[in-house]
Amino acid sequence: MTRKDNWLIWAFLAPTLTLLGVFLYYPMIGTVIESFYDTSFISPEPRFVGWAVYEKVLNSRQFSEIVWNSVIWTLGVVVLQNLLGFFTAVLLNQGLPGQGVIRALVLLPFVLPGVVTAILWRFMYDPQLGLVNSIFIRLGLFEDSAAWLASSDTAMAAVIFVAVWKGFPFSMLIYLAALQNVDKSQMEAATLDGAGALRRLIDVVLPAIRDVILVNFVLTLILTFNYFDIVWVLTRGGPQNATHIFPTKIFETGFGQFRFGEAATYGVFSILVLAVLVAIYVIVQRATANRRPVA
Amino acid sequence: MKTKLLATLTSSAIALASAASAEVTLQFWDNQQTESGLSQFQQAAVDRFMAENPDIKVEVTTIPYPEYQQRLLTAVQGGNAPDIATLDQIWVAAFAEAGAVADLSEAAAGAGLSRDQFFGGAWDSASYNDGLYGIPFNVDVWQFNFYNKDLLDAAGVSPSDLTTFEGLRAASEKLTGDGKFGIGLFGHRGEDTVVVMNSFIFSNGGAVLDDAGACALNAAPAVEAMEYVQDLAQFAPEGILNANSGNMRELFLNGSLAIEFWPALEQPTLQKSDINWGFVNGTAGASGKGVGTFGGWNLAVFESSAQQEAAWKFIEFMVREDVNGDVVDLIPANKAAAAPFLEANRQGADDIMAHLSNANPRPLSARYLEVADIQMTLYQDVFSGANVQEAADAACADIDALN
Repeated sequence: MTRKDNWLIWAFLAPTLTLLGVFLYYPMIGTVIESFYDTSFISPEPRFVGWAVYEKVLNSRQFSEIVWNSVIWTLGVVVLQNLLGFFTAVLLNQGLPGQGVIRALVLLPFVLPGVVTAILWRFMYDPQLGLVNSIFIRLGLFEDSAAWLASSDTAMAAVIFVAVWKGFPFSMLIYLAALQNVDKSQMEAATLDGAGALRRLIDVVLPAIRDVILVNFVLTLILTFNYFDIVWVLTRGGPQNATHIFPTKIFETGFGQFRFGEAATYGVFSILVLAVLVAIYVIVQRATANRRPVA
Repeated sequence: MKTKLLATLTSSAIALASAASAEVTLQFWDNQQTESGLSQFQQAAVDRFMAENPDIKVEVTTIPYPEYQQRLLTAVQGGNAPDIATLDQIWVAAFAEAGAVADLSEAAAGAGLSRDQFFGGAWDSASYNDGLYGIPFNVDVWQFNFYNKDLLDAAGVSPSDLTTFEGLRAASEKLTGDGKFGIGLFGHRGEDTVVVMNSFIFSNGGAVLDDAGACALNAAPAVEAMEYVQDLAQFAPEGILNANSGNMRELFLNGSLAIEFWPALEQPTLQKSDINWGFVNGTAGASGKGVGTFGGWNLAVFESSAQQEAAWKFIEFMVREDVNGDVVDLIPANKAAAAPFLEANRQGADDIMAHLSNANPRPLSARYLEVADIQMTLYQDVFSGANVQEAADAACADIDALN
C-alpha cells in the first residue's frame, strides 16, 4: 500500500469519522463532563462540583433500586426473548403447512412501534376493562381482577412480558436463518444413527448455531438495557420505582425535573455498562470469526 | 429587570415611532390540552389582533400538551425561545429563576392590570421574588366531585353527602359493590395525583409548605387528610398506583364509577355523554370547606425576545375581557370574562366561581418539580398502605433538603 493509498483511505473515512465524532462521541464526552457540574434549568451556569453529584446519586435511595431493576429487566427480557425466539424458530423450521402466513403473523409484534405496543398492553392489563384479567377469570384461574401494572410485586414481570412479546420475533428471525443453514447431511447422519429430535437438537443443531446464539444474546442485551418507550408508557418507572431502569430515570431527571447534572451522572453509569456490553460483543464477534472455516 | 424591561419598551417605542411601517413578527407558543377545536377560535382572535395592530404579525405554534414542556425547555436552552408562550403555573418560578422570562410588573401597572381583575391564586402563581413573570391566561381547579346521579339515587346517597369527609366515606362505602366502585382515586406518577391529594390536605387545614417555606406534609392536618384518603382507597377501583384521571373518566363514562375527581374542564366531555351527572365543590375536612388546588396557564414574555413591546401588546389583548373567553379551553383568568364564559359553557357557573375564588395555588417554588416528585413518591407510599406519618416525615426530610 502506497502513501497515496493511505491518504485516499483517510479521505474516504473522513466523512464517517466526522459524523461519528459530532453525533456520537461529542455528546458522549459532553455527558461525562456535564456529570461533574451541578447544572439545572434554574441554575443554567454550570458549577463544577467534582464527584459531588456522583456521591449524591450513589447515596440516594433510588440508585440501588434502579441498578437492581435494570439487572432483572435486562436478564429477564434477554433470556425469555431468546428462548421463545429459538423455540418458535425451531417450530417454524419444520416445514408446517401455511408456514409463510404463520411467519408473517409472528413478526407482527416486532413491526409495531414501541409506544403503540405499550398503549395496547396498557389496555390489555387494565384491572377493570382489560382482556388479560377477563381471560384469567373466565378460565377460573383468578376470582378477582389483578392490577398488574399497579403492584410492585407484578409490575416488572408484566413489563418484561410485553417486551418479550414485542422482541421475540427479532430473535426468531435470526435463529430461523441460522437453523436453515445447519448442515442437512449432519442431521441425516444423526437420524440414521438413531438420534431422536432432542438429541439432534442438543448434539447437532446447538453446536452448529452456537455463534449465532452468542451474538444474538449480546446484541439483545445491549438493545434491552437501552429500552425506554415500553417501560415509560406502561408505568413511568412506577409503581414506587418498581420498574425504574436507567433510561427512564435519565429521562425523568433530565426532561421531567431539568436536573441535567444528575441525569448526566446516571448517563455515565449507563455508558459504562453499555461499554462493557459492546466490548463483550466485539470479543464474541472476533471469536466467532476466528472459528469460521476458511473457504 | 424592571428597569431593563422599561428601557426595552421605551427604546422599542422610539424605534416604532421612527419606522411606523416596519412589521414585527411575534412567535406565540401555546399547548392544546383538549380536543376542543380551540385553535380556530384562537386564530380568529389572532387575526383580530393583527387587524387592530397592522404592524404586528403573530405566528401561532400549538403543541400537544404532553410534548409542550420539553419543547419549550429545549427552545429556551438552545436560545430559540418564542417571544411569548403560555407557561404552566408551576413552571413560572423556575423560568423566572433561570432568567428566561421578563418581569412584567411595570408593564402590567402601566396598563392598569392588577390582581383584583384576575383570580387571586392565578395572579399569585405568576408572582415570584417581588416580580410578576406572567399574566394569568386561563385557570381551573382540582377538584370538583362529579357524581353519577342514577348511582347515587339507587344507593340512597344525597349529593350533599359528598361535601364532607365523613359523608364522602359513607357514600363511597354505600356505592361500592355489584361491580360498581364508589370513588375514582388514582395514584400514578403525575401532577393530577398531586393536585387531588393536595386538595384533601388543603380542605383539612393543611399545606404542602408552611409560610416559611418548610415542608408541612408531616403536620397533623396533612397526615390526617392522607390517612383519610388511604382509607378511602378500599372503595376505589383496583390499580390505583398506575391509574390516572383519564382511567377514572373511562369508568365514570361507562357507568361503573359513582364519583370521579376532575376540574371543570371535564364538563364538555360529560355534556356529550349519556351519564346523568352533577357535581359538588370538593370535600370539606377540618377546615369546614372544600378547598381546591389551582391549575392553569400564564402568558409570559421571554427575555430573549427582541420585540417585547409588541409581545406585551399581544398579552394585553389576549387577557382582555372581550377576548379572553374566546381563546381558552379551561376558564378565562380574567374574572370579568370568566362569568359569561361559565354561563355559556358550564353548568353551575356560580359554584365554579366560588370554588375558583377559594382555591390554593401549589407551592410557588423554583424547585417545584422536585417538590412534586417527592410528593408523588409520598402519595404512592400512602396508597400502598405505608404508615402515613413515617412516609410524610421521610418526604419532608427530602423536601427540606432541597433548600
